Amino acid sequence: MSNSPKMRRMLAMGVFYVVLTAIAFLFLFPFYWLLISAFKTQAQIFTIPPQWIPHPVIFNNFVELYRETNLFRAFLNSCIISGGNVLLTLFLCSLAGYAFAKYPQARGHGKLFNFILASMMIPGAVTLIPSFLMLVWLHLINTYWAMIIPGSASAFGIFWMRQYMSSNVPDDLVNAARIDGCTEFEIYWRIAVPISKPALAALGIMQLIASWNNLMWAFVVLRTPNMLTLPVVIYLLQGEVRTPFGMLMAGGLMTTLPLILAFLFFQKQFVAGITAGAIKQ
Amino acid sequence: MKNEAESQWRRDIIKYRHFYLFISPFFILFAAFSLYPVLFSLFLSFMKWNGLTQWKWVGLGNFTSMLYDDILWRSLWNTLIIGLLYIPPMMILAFIFAQVLNAQWLKLRAFYRAALFLPCVTPMVVIAIVFSLIFSSEKGVLNYAIMGVGHMLPFLHLKPIPWLESESWSKTSVAILVVWRWTGYNMIIMLAGLQGIPTEYYEAAMVDGAGMWERVKSVTMPLMRPTFAFCGLLSLLGTVYMFDEIFVLTNGGPGVSSMNFGLYLFNLSFTDFKFGYASCVAYTVAVAVFFITLAGLRITRQREEAK
Repeated sequence: MSNSPKMRRMLAMGVFYVVLTAIAFLFLFPFYWLLISAFKTQAQIFTIPPQWIPHPVIFNNFVELYRETNLFRAFLNSCIISGGNVLLTLFLCSLAGYAFAKYPQARGHGKLFNFILASMMIPGAVTLIPSFLMLVWLHLINTYWAMIIPGSASAFGIFWMRQYMSSNVPDDLVNAARIDGCTEFEIYWRIAVPISKPALAALGIMQLIASWNNLMWAFVVLRTPNMLTLPVVIYLLQGEVRTPFGMLMAGGLMTTLPLILAFLFFQKQFVAGITAGAIKQ
Repeated sequence: MKNEAESQWRRDIIKYRHFYLFISPFFILFAAFSLYPVLFSLFLSFMKWNGLTQWKWVGLGNFTSMLYDDILWRSLWNTLIIGLLYIPPMMILAFIFAQVLNAQWLKLRAFYRAALFLPCVTPMVVIAIVFSLIFSSEKGVLNYAIMGVGHMLPFLHLKPIPWLESESWSKTSVAILVVWRWTGYNMIIMLAGLQGIPTEYYEAAMVDGAGMWERVKSVTMPLMRPTFAFCGLLSLLGTVYMFDEIFVLTNGGPGVSSMNFGLYLFNLSFTDFKFGYASCVAYTVAVAVFFITLAGLRITRQREEAK
C-alpha cells in the first residue's frame, strides 16, 4: 500500500511543506525573540535553558522605557521626519515625473531625463560629506529639515512616476482639461495625481521604510536628545558596561510594529515597487 | 539667421515653461544634494581638511596614502570575504523560494512570502540587537541549539561558538544576519523574473519530455541570467556600502575583523573628520566598483551572445 505512487506523492508533499514551514519559522524567529524578550527581566532573558514563553510576563520594561527615555518624543520625531520625507518625495517626484511624461516635446527633455537616470549610479558614500557640509552652511543641522530634504530628490522616484503617468494618464484627458480652462498645475493636481494613486502608494511605502530606518544620516545630522529618532534612541540605549536588554527589546518592539503593520497593509504596492526597480535595468 | 534660431529657442522655452517649472524644485534639490556633492567631493579628494581649518592642497597625496592604509585594505578584504560568505547561500535560498512561490498549487503562499520578506522592512538597529542576544556565546539561544544537537549527536564534537567575540567568527555572524535580512528582497526580484518567463516555454519543454530538473536547467536558468546579474550587482553594492548591519552588530570588531568598507568610510568621515582623505577613498572605490560592475555586465552579455 505504502508503495503506491499516490502515497509516495503525498509523503513527498508532506516533507516539502514541513521543510518550507521550518525555514519560514527560522526567518520569523528573531521577531518572536524580540517579542518575548520585551516581556522578560534581564535575568529571564539570559536563563539557560531559555524561556520560550516568558514566565512570569513582565510589563516593567515598558514602564521603565517611558520613565527613563524620551521615547514618546523620539516616536514623534520619527513620525514627523518620515511623514515629511514621504510627502516631499511624493510631491517632487510626481510633479517632475508628470512633466517628463506629458511634455515630451520640450527642449532638453531627453537629455535631462538621461541625466537623472545616470545619477542613479552615484553611490551615497561619495555625496556623504558634501551633503553634510551643505546642511551645515544652510544652518539646518539638528533640524527636521536635515532629515527630510536630502533624500527626497529621488532619481528612482522620478523614473517610477514617469513610467506610470506616461502609460496611465491619457493625453486626451489632459487636452480636454486644457480646453476647459484648467491651468497646467490643476491638470497635474486634479487629474494626474488621483489617477496615479497606486504608483504613489508604492513609492511612498518604500520611502517610508527607508526613512524610518535611517540610522547613519540621523547619527550625522541630529545632535540634541530632543531631536533624535527612534533608531538612534534605541542604539544609544546600549550601555558601555551593562545593556538593559529588556528595555531595549520593548523599545525595539515599538519601533518595529508600525513598519510591520504598514508593510502588511501595503504589501502589494511594496512588492510592485521593488519589482519595478528590478525591471528598469 | 542666428538670431532667428535664438528666438525660436526662446519661444520653445516659453511655450514649454511648465515643463521647466515642474522639474525645477526637484532639480534644485538634486543640484544641492547630488550634483554639487559629487563635484565638491572630487575637489576634496586633492585636499587635506578636517572641516574646521582652511583646506590645504596635497595633490595626489591622498591617493598615495591609500596605498599604505592597512585598515583600508583590511576593510576591502573583509568586504570581499563577507560577500563571498553570504551571497551564494542567499541567492540559492532566494531562488528556491522564488521557484516555490511561483508554483500555482502552493498553499499558504501569503504566509511564506511575508515570513521571508518581513526582515527587510524592519529597522536594522532593533534586529541587530536581537541577533546579538541570539549570538551571545554563553547564554545565547543559537549556542544552546548547537549544544542540543551536540548532545544528540556526540560524534560531531560540537562546541559553543564565540560568534561575536572571536576574530575568525565575526564575519560569519554578519553574513548570517545579512542572509536573514536580504533573502526576501532578492526572492521578490527573482519571482518577478520567473513570472516574466512565458509558460509556453515550459509546455514545449514538457512536450519534449523534459523532467522538472531539466526544465529548470534549460529553460529557467538561461532566461533568469539577467535577473541573477541584477541581484548580484545589488549585492555587490550592498556589501561594499553596508553600514547599519555591521555598525550595530559588531561595530567592525573584534579588532577590525568585521570592518567593511562602508563602516570604515563612515569612521574616516565622522569620527576622524578626515574629509579630504575620506572623499578620496570614497571616490576611488566608487570608480573601482563601477568598472567591476561594467566588466561583470559585459561578461554576462558575452555569454548570452555566445549561446
